[in-house]
Amino acid sequence: MQLELGVVGGAAAFLALAVALYGAVVGSVGAVRRDARLLTSARLAAVAGFVVATVAVVVMEAALLTDDFSVSYVAQHSRIASPVWVKVVTMWAALEGSILLWAWLLSGYTALVAAIAPLSPLRPWALVVMQGVQTFFFFVLAFLANPFTVLPNPPLDGPGPNELLQNHWMMAVHPVLMYLGFVGLTVPFAYALAALITRRPGTEWMTSTRRWTLTGWGFLSAAIVAGGWWSYEVLGWGGYWAWDPVENVSLMPWLTATAFIHSVQVQERRRMLKPWNALLIIITFSLSILGTFLTRSGVVSSVHAFGSGPVGPAFLAFFLIVALGSFTLLAVRWDDVRDRSELDSVVSREGAFLGVNILFLALAFAVLLGTLFPLIVEALSGDRVTVGGPFFDQVTLPLWLLVLLLMGIGPLLPWRKADTQSLRRNLAWLLGGLAVGTVVAFALGVRKIYPALTVGLAVYNVVSLGLLLSGALVPRMRLANRPAVAVLRSYAFENRRRVGSMIVHFGVVVIALGVAFSSGYRVDEQIRLDFGASAPFEEYTLTAVDRFMERTPGRISAGAVVEVTKDGRLIATLRPRLNVFGEGRPVPTPAVVYTPWHDVYLNLNSTVTPTTTFVVLRVVKSPLVTWIWIGGFILALGTAYSLSGSGRTVPVRASVGSEAAREEGASA
Amino acid sequence: MRKKVIYAVLGVAVLAAAGLMIGRALQTSLVYFVMPSEYARDAASFDGRRIRLAGLVEPGSVAFDDAGLELSFNVTDAIQTYPVRYSGAPPDMFQENGGVVIEGRFHDGVFVGDNLLVKHSNDYHPPEDGHVDVEALKESLR
Repeated sequence: MQLELGVVGGAAAFLALAVALYGAVVGSVGAVRRDARLLTSARLAAVAGFVVATVAVVVMEAALLTDDFSVSYVAQHSRIASPVWVKVVTMWAALEGSILLWAWLLSGYTALVAAIAPLSPLRPWALVVMQGVQTFFFFVLAFLANPFTVLPNPPLDGPGPNELLQNHWMMAVHPVLMYLGFVGLTVPFAYALAALITRRPGTEWMTSTRRWTLTGWGFLSAAIVAGGWWSYEVLGWGGYWAWDPVENVSLMPWLTATAFIHSVQVQERRRMLKPWNALLIIITFSLSILGTFLTRSGVVSSVHAFGSGPVGPAFLAFFLIVALGSFTLLAVRWDDVRDRSELDSVVSREGAFLGVNILFLALAFAVLLGTLFPLIVEALSGDRVTVGGPFFDQVTLPLWLLVLLLMGIGPLLPWRKADTQSLRRNLAWLLGGLAVGTVVAFALGVRKIYPALTVGLAVYNVVSLGLLLSGALVPRMRLANRPAVAVLRSYAFENRRRVGSMIVHFGVVVIALGVAFSSGYRVDEQIRLDFGASAPFEEYTLTAVDRFMERTPGRISAGAVVEVTKDGRLIATLRPRLNVFGEGRPVPTPAVVYTPWHDVYLNLNSTVTPTTTFVVLRVVKSPLVTWIWIGGFILALGTAYSLSGSGRTVPVRASVGSEAAREEGASA
Repeated sequence: MRKKVIYAVLGVAVLAAAGLMIGRALQTSLVYFVMPSEYARDAASFDGRRIRLAGLVEPGSVAFDDAGLELSFNVTDAIQTYPVRYSGAPPDMFQENGGVVIEGRFHDGVFVGDNLLVKHSNDYHPPEDGHVDVEALKESLR
């Protein structure tokens, strides 16, 4: 008898739940009793959990690829005619499958921690926390959103995944990056709780998770930028960020995680902000769960919400358990984590880090408020409201500019207290750059305040990077008497963490310029074109040459062939279209000319049939928008470079080390 | 000690400023989601505000000037009907008796929209006898 895939997958889901639960229980008993055998068993369970979860994923993919419609998820979300890559990514195109992907990645990270994290008093409890989180996810998967339910009367074909999702290959990338980010940030959260449980609130929990944190942060950053590019390419309005609830909930944990990776350095160097750091990582993890609740429960309306169901309440309950549990634990351990040192001066590295922390938290709070406000209003008055984009722009734009301001000065300030002379010199350079940049931008015709200031702050930040590099390189060149390039190469090689952060900051500057100009100077028009006729758009001429219709397996497209010319020269021939997948509704699919200075974006706003004589195009010109994606790439590159170094901190810390050892000893 | 007081005062000042800014921004960018009959009941309170007007496209009211790209139609919830003007082509799936949500403002009794969404909800079917359950309709257009 042939074993049905649904049965195998369902069994794997339940077994994964059992293994995760076993690991969490045995691990905590073992940690309390200090029983090495139980702890080893829990570690093995972590690895076994990954193996079982992998079986579930393989079964799901096999069912999707073989069009086994007896598996409920396949019947509801797949289609025979879809190309292979669509079938593969259909696994995370809907609710149940996305839970499976998340749970699987989480089990992978847990297994990795169990396998490679060095033995420490924290590891057992960290594994317990991670297996606890896994227990929740596999519980949801097995009981509330089981994709493996066997259908007694399988349909002959399914409807296929959401049209918007199968319309772009980014669907294969963006969600995976997002979950890798969320799951990656579970590791420092687990170690933070372990540190609180074991009363070891020193720096151990964050130095040993530094790479995990940075990896998770890097994936989350890449996911957000990739998501922006995806909506730019797919949604047809020529923008990339609409302050939609689903976008907001991915941004909030990123904001708090960014605050976290900056403030941990204060604790590493200055033994300050201990409770703050624990708080930040708890908030980050809680926000990622809250976000999942908001998007999977139908409580907020959004273009890409996942619909309603029993999963929403489960995530709400889990969010409450996580948040209340962690905060209670922090409160109970307050005496252990309380700071004993004080800020010497605001004008210092730690002062800048503190400032940027407050900014990021304020940003996260503003985004949270704007996202939840409709719920609050509806609960209180019954009125249905939405908080428009202008709210987020008004509140966050000044804060973003302040972030850019601190990003430039912060790395130039020394720890403890800046001496006035070097501070003055640096400030003169920086403010000079800011002034020159703003004035030049203004003179060149950038008359809007935010874009002009962004140019100024970009120059200011580039000056800051120049000062940082010259400050590091010039003494080394004098000392070694070698050419600049050789010194730069060895400096960049030896100080990867520092140089990586410079690259990341540069990426942020590039993104900021892209955002400021593409939103500040966007031109958005609707143009009607008869076939054969031309119309001007900014410096271009658009000509609707012809209509076309094309049929590929699983898809019918109808659209217009539009030539974009400038001064009589052909720039590009674009084919904006409507795609129809199976029985689904038509999906407008824009076509874009990418150039370094600006994009020309065409979206079809009318239907094309063999008898139509004209098309209506939405034409958008966004200056510098490409630089957002390039900046995102630079940022990811910088993160990777920072991670490529050895895990050890730079030798400068030797003197601080003894202080650290004393403190670790005192708190143990 | 003096330092701490200064920080505390500064902190409170910053928080107050931020609260004020957030409050003002919320006030100006809150967009109410209303049906035509709800608007009629309380038109004064929405005066000049940006709202999202939701309802069904009244049959026979649709006119599209394809040269000037001006779409006009009436939106109704069977109790109240308002004329709507929108610059642009009718979006895909735009049809009579179909659900729509238009974002914009009222100008002299005409709702001028800059964003038109078609709701292709399966949850709601206009009844034959002409009686419309406004609450159910509103829920389906959400």
